[in-house]
Amino acid sequence: MNSAELLQFVASGLQNGAVYALVALGFTLVYASTGIINFAQGEFFMLGGMLAVAGVRFGLPLPFAVLASVAGTAAIGLLFERVALRPRRDSGPLVLIIITIGGSMVMKSLARHAFGPNELTLPPFSPGDPIVLAGASIDRQVLWIWGLTIVAVIALTFLYSKTKLGRAMRACSLSHDAARLMGIDTARVVMISFGLAAALGALGGVAVAPLTQTAFDVGARAGLKGFAAAILGGLGNPIGAVVGGLVLGILESMSVAFISSTYKDAISLVILLAVLFLRPQGILGKRGREKV
Amino acid sequence: MTGSWMRRIGGFALPLAACCLLAAVPLITNDRYLFKVLTFVGLNVIVVAGLALLFGFAGQISLGHAAFVGIGAYTCGYLTAVAGVPWPIAVLAGSVLAAFGGLLLAVPSLRLKGHYLAMATLGFNEIMSVLFVELRSITGGNDGLRGIPFASIGAWKIDTPSGNYLLVWAVAVVVLVLVGNVIRTRPGRAMRALHGSELGAMASGVDTRGLKIQVFALSAGLAGLAGALYASAVGFISPSTFSLEFSVLLIAMVVVGGTGSLAGPVTACVLLTLLPYADALIPGLSKDAVAVLQDWEADISGFAMILVLLFAPGGVAGLVRRAAAARRTSVREAA
Repeated sequence: MNSAELLQFVASGLQNGAVYALVALGFTLVYASTGIINFAQGEFFMLGGMLAVAGVRFGLPLPFAVLASVAGTAAIGLLFERVALRPRRDSGPLVLIIITIGGSMVMKSLARHAFGPNELTLPPFSPGDPIVLAGASIDRQVLWIWGLTIVAVIALTFLYSKTKLGRAMRACSLSHDAARLMGIDTARVVMISFGLAAALGALGGVAVAPLTQTAFDVGARAGLKGFAAAILGGLGNPIGAVVGGLVLGILESMSVAFISSTYKDAISLVILLAVLFLRPQGILGKRGREKV
Repeated sequence: MTGSWMRRIGGFALPLAACCLLAAVPLITNDRYLFKVLTFVGLNVIVVAGLALLFGFAGQISLGHAAFVGIGAYTCGYLTAVAGVPWPIAVLAGSVLAAFGGLLLAVPSLRLKGHYLAMATLGFNEIMSVLFVELRSITGGNDGLRGIPFASIGAWKIDTPSGNYLLVWAVAVVVLVLVGNVIRTRPGRAMRALHGSELGAMASGVDTRGLKIQVFALSAGLAGLAGALYASAVGFISPSTFSLEFSVLLIAMVVVGGTGSLAGPVTACVLLTLLPYADALIPGLSKDAVAVLQDWEADISGFAMILVLLFAPGGVAGLVRRAAAARRTSVREAA
């Protein structure tokens, strides 16, 4: 394999990796503020692509359709938390997980009713020939994916470190009770985390839709890979989520390059299981201990 | 007095009556479609009984049970259709292999709790889904495995819809009695202790490691058994049957039925399985109504799951228990 081919595989790995990173950031945000895994995170990815396609069909210009789909998915995320999760906030994690599983079932099925069972295509954000870089050809949409991911990460970093809301979110991730005693409206923080997670998932879904097409049932696998990325980097750690996403994307595309493309999806799942079984705190995470 | 009498009805007479009714169906009707539907119900009951034990009693979630059903189905299907192995051995092999798969998954999962276990089992289901498609020489890929022979013991062949129905339900009843016994005896109490508090159970001398592995393997084995019976009853299997959606539906049945109960999940399983085939029981139902039910099956299960957890966390079993308790108090007050 020559260097141009290798570069091509790296580029495609970073393309998928950026999308996994966005989904993983959603998992991490919700986990940090609530301590639960949101099994509906993959459905936000699906909704991002589907709502954008629906917007374009409705006649919206593409940029508006994209923005509307991200905003709409965020609203669905907020609503889901408020209606289905908040009433059971004090239950054990298993109850909340199952509610999110039920939520993902419902979102997926409703999407099938609303948008039909077929694969749908979103037009590329900026049409044109691929850009050739050192022998590797890179689709213009890939540049959009990278750009949007970088913008999202910078915005999130700013939010986390510089704003009052970000401070409240970090406080919640340390201790809900202490945060509440300091006058932080923890219920609001949790709801906003869900909204942000939904927006990030949707952003991933809408950015990759022009390359891969989208359908009502793409959520489960996107969610699994995003979770694999989040756990690879250490759940609850935003930097870890991004690193995990990119590493997973590269590993996946290297396995296609050097092993076989048949088992591409299985390989990221095997990585997920291996990390879960061997190092559940992630590569960057610290080991925790359960107390009585 | 009334309480114990009622409990005796619930614990003994009611299941007996249900068994008699099940056995009598072939005497009343020879509707092939009805038998097919009831066979599916029986198969799901077998899986749900094992899942109720694992999730409802031991508190270990599995989002991968469809994969175990698939392992059982493909093992039995391949062995009988391609390798020509006698049916009872193929069914046994399917169950054992699924149980072994459960064991393989359970051992490394021991340190995983709650959502991590959910994700690990979900990942396992997806890996198996990929394998069911890609291991073409065994599974037939996306086209599936065709021409799986009916159940047969020696020269005796069970090739009628009513025969398959009776076979599946006979197995289901045995499984229910077995699981019921596990729940009532020492392992069942240990499981409840594990569910309540793992550290507490450990401190009370429960071998939580061994218990978790055993329950997981038993539960996976039952799923494999149902899969093996499914393969020989239907004659054709394909990967999409054993997808994640089925795993989630199975969990929905246990949740809607109520954790910590066997009768609840079995009831929910019967109802949710019958839902898309409502026309088998209600003869006058129009085709459109059935199509709507089939189209909205996942929505109904998903909503049922969320609503039960929001408003009746004990599920169907919890509601029945609460109603019975309310009645006892009112009877006592009247006296």
